Amino acid sequence: MAELNVLGFHAGSSMVHKLDVRFKLLFLVVVSLSSLKSFVPSLSILTLVLMVTLIHTGLPLKMALKDFRYVFLLLLVVFMARSLSVPGLPVVELWAVSVTREGLYQGMIVCWRLMIVIMIGLSFVLTTRSSEIKAAVEWILKPFPWIPAKRIAFMMSLIVRFIPIIFEQAKKTAEAQRARGVESRKNPVYRLKMFGIPLMRRIFERADKLVLAMEARCYSDNRTDSLLSCSARDWIALVGVACLCLVIIL
Amino acid sequence: MNNIIDIENLSHRFADGTVGLDNINLSISQGSFVVIAGPNGSGKTTLLKHLNGLLLPTKGVVKLSGVSVAKNLTRSRQMVGMVFQDADSQIVGETVSDDVAFGPENLCLDRAEVKRRVARALETVGLHHHKDQKPHLLSGGEKRRLAIAGILAMDPKVLVFDEPFSSMDYPGVKQILAQMISLHRAGHTILVAAHDLEMLVAHADRLVIMQDGGIVRDGLPSQLLGELETFGIREPCASRWGKEVHSWLN
Repeated sequence: MAELNVLGFHAGSSMVHKLDVRFKLLFLVVVSLSSLKSFVPSLSILTLVLMVTLIHTGLPLKMALKDFRYVFLLLLVVFMARSLSVPGLPVVELWAVSVTREGLYQGMIVCWRLMIVIMIGLSFVLTTRSSEIKAAVEWILKPFPWIPAKRIAFMMSLIVRFIPIIFEQAKKTAEAQRARGVESRKNPVYRLKMFGIPLMRRIFERADKLVLAMEARCYSDNRTDSLLSCSARDWIALVGVACLCLVIIL
Repeated sequence: MNNIIDIENLSHRFADGTVGLDNINLSISQGSFVVIAGPNGSGKTTLLKHLNGLLLPTKGVVKLSGVSVAKNLTRSRQMVGMVFQDADSQIVGETVSDDVAFGPENLCLDRAEVKRRVARALETVGLHHHKDQKPHLLSGGEKRRLAIAGILAMDPKVLVFDEPFSSMDYPGVKQILAQMISLHRAGHTILVAAHDLEMLVAHADRLVIMQDGGIVRDGLPSQLLGELETFGIREPCASRWGKEVHSWLN
């Protein structure tokens, strides 16, 4: 049996699950943009709101922390780069390199904003079926008749749908290589090559099989799409998000 | 009895020049349970892929109820549901019910009819309690039953199984076998490609043996059991000991 992966739709009945996907997309964009204008007090409010939202959607927190461990590493790199590169009052000095107070502050703010974007993206992916994303993208692209909306929308929904599978394939490839002692090879280029090539082959083979499976079930651009409908709940949520963004920006 | 499948002088040559099928002539009557046996590379899967137009003949014709498969691929794929060897690769949806809905949605059925078909198909394979679950978390047997539900929702006349018991445990094999027999009793025509006949031979009413892309034997299973090993197929244990082969479900 496969392990759960936090990246992907988790069925549920939370309020966020029930929101119209077009509103959720709008919230994703607006809150992400607002976070770029926020500092410690507003970032704290945003973090609190998003944490409550994620817990409400039924996010398996322990698993999320495990799945995002590499993202935390990336954030750490960003934080270190900022704290070392921004000029200001030195806090620690080692040879020619100095960590500055301003650098530490800016590093923290940048990482915090990135975390906010990740959290809101996660709450979107957790609560939205890829078929709903497809329907929303089609709706957004409708005013542009020269763009093949259905095809683009389906490609986007497939990307979202198959991110967890790519992770699963990567995990299987890594396990197979560890079983054959790849850890004793210290050259990172060699390890990357030995990991990347079979992983890409697996992903393309999987994609080929998927195409066959879709063709066998009569896939075409013209199909029954998800119904998009907004209700009072969505408009109330919109007012709430607008107020939150105003508080953050002002 | 009426023939639901008529294959006339079918040959298939792959792009690299390899001969996949060589002058196949075969008629399958409606409601029959046919096992196509042969070692790996004998052409079983290639033959099955011609039944719903996933592969098209280099020479010859495949007809479903008198109409050429190549003339109307959508009709062919709706009439012939195919369960692939790797059930994982057949999964398209994010939840069990989304996956079953994929086929009916491709047939452009209205939303109410899609829902009705999904509920009926999940009930038939006994997966209605898992409808909101992620498909990748199902067991091997459940995944294959999900694949069956996915094609049943398209209301096919013929069900084609490619190595249905590969990498499955004993309870999983029994579940799938019971499902196949129940579908046969419900009036579906069943075609199964397999290299191990142990579980199938007691239920089949016809056995077709393939070798090197051609049909080398075609008849009643009881009459062909003694010849199986000549063609690289393992003879069922009971038959080796001169006894009657019984169902695994007894």
